[in-house]
Amino acid sequence: MSTRARQDNQLGYVLHTYPFRETSLVVETFTRAHGRVGMVARGAKRPRSALRGSIMAFQPLGLSWSGRGELRLLLRAEWQGGQPRLQGRALLCGFYLNELLLKLLPREDAHEQLFLDYQTALARLGEEAEPGAVLRRFEKALLRELGYALALDRDSASGAQIEPQGSYAYEPERGPVSINGGAPAGLVLSGRTLLDIVRDDYRDPQTLQQAKALMRLLISHRLEQKPLNSRRIFEELQQL
Amino acid sequence: MKPPSSLEALIEALRCLPGVGPKSAQRMAYHLLQYDRDGAQKLCASIGQALQSIRRCAKCNSFTEDEICALCSSPRRDAALLAVVETPADLLMMEQTLAFPGMYFVLMGRLSPLDGIGPKDIGLDRLLARATDGVVREVILATNFTNEGEATAHYIGEMLRGRGIKVSRIARGVPVGGELEYVDSGTLAQAVVERRPL
Repeated sequence: MSTRARQDNQLGYVLHTYPFRETSLVVETFTRAHGRVGMVARGAKRPRSALRGSIMAFQPLGLSWSGRGELRLLLRAEWQGGQPRLQGRALLCGFYLNELLLKLLPREDAHEQLFLDYQTALARLGEEAEPGAVLRRFEKALLRELGYALALDRDSASGAQIEPQGSYAYEPERGPVSINGGAPAGLVLSGRTLLDIVRDDYRDPQTLQQAKALMRLLISHRLEQKPLNSRRIFEELQQL
Repeated sequence: MKPPSSLEALIEALRCLPGVGPKSAQRMAYHLLQYDRDGAQKLCASIGQALQSIRRCAKCNSFTEDEICALCSSPRRDAALLAVVETPADLLMMEQTLAFPGMYFVLMGRLSPLDGIGPKDIGLDRLLARATDGVVREVILATNFTNEGEATAHYIGEMLRGRGIKVSRIARGVPVGGELEYVDSGTLAQAVVERRPL
């Protein structure tokens, strides 16, 4: 929590904006030093507003604001550059990252490591053709920052090390449990997948696929089953 | 004193207008009832009339009183060109340029995943039907250069290219008559990235 009312040139990103009164915007930001901060950009929808062009998601900005309330007053947003614009599918992935942050990260809680992870993810989304691994790394980092330590390398029932050849049932509050014969309910993962996720190694297609299912399960659990709009819309767009 | 219930209902109804909060709605309601009952009558009649007679143009999806709007039925327009814009205001802006001889399709929105607005909400199926009518040869994507507008353009482009239609995107860069010294950095950076050979 900041003690000073005024902050100058803080590195941050716009996560989302929505209209506020006639010509203003509420701007949800994610800043390096202050975490998620909500701000009002007064008059930002006017044609000549200095804020108009720069309030854009996925671009690093130097943000200045004042005030102490729930919503601060955005004073300046200066373009920092260096991040190529996201396009096409990468753009949709960017929206997904922003929705995760908006729905899971509480306001005014600094998460510097997660901020760096977010920056890395955006940079990689701009470069890589296959976004799967980028999204999985970020989801894992986000869960860790939220205090949800992923249990991946030990069987949570026996405490034994995970065997790459084994099969494990995974429950959100419990972790992996070896399947011995019996048909388990819920998500089943291979030992190899669990060990690959520990190392953030997503080269194996089966790992990538199972990691996606695991992250989806854990994130839904954290969201208490509230749906993610960006995921639904991504699926709808695939059907076009 | 508690206001009468039909007054309360009027105040509540006025709040549906953008930018009108409880205080403004109350002021408007008192004004209409006290000083301008004729105006109120006119407002009431014209809202009713508009609701009844205005609908979406079967071709461009914009507002019209006819089955097909004047622009879409004009023989002087080039039916082989179709520009896709987000709102009727964007259409008017394009018309003011006098640079575009073709037809339009108005999405009445844009894809906005964070607001839950997807392809079904902006009538992409109607656009697909319009663009594949056999007459349209090129679709020009004139959605905004916001992230949402870009995502919309990308997916419309994918959808139409897959069906063999030529798709283009309006260019962006330094404004006409603009001096580099006063252009914002984001625009200039993008203009350098998207530079073209001479």
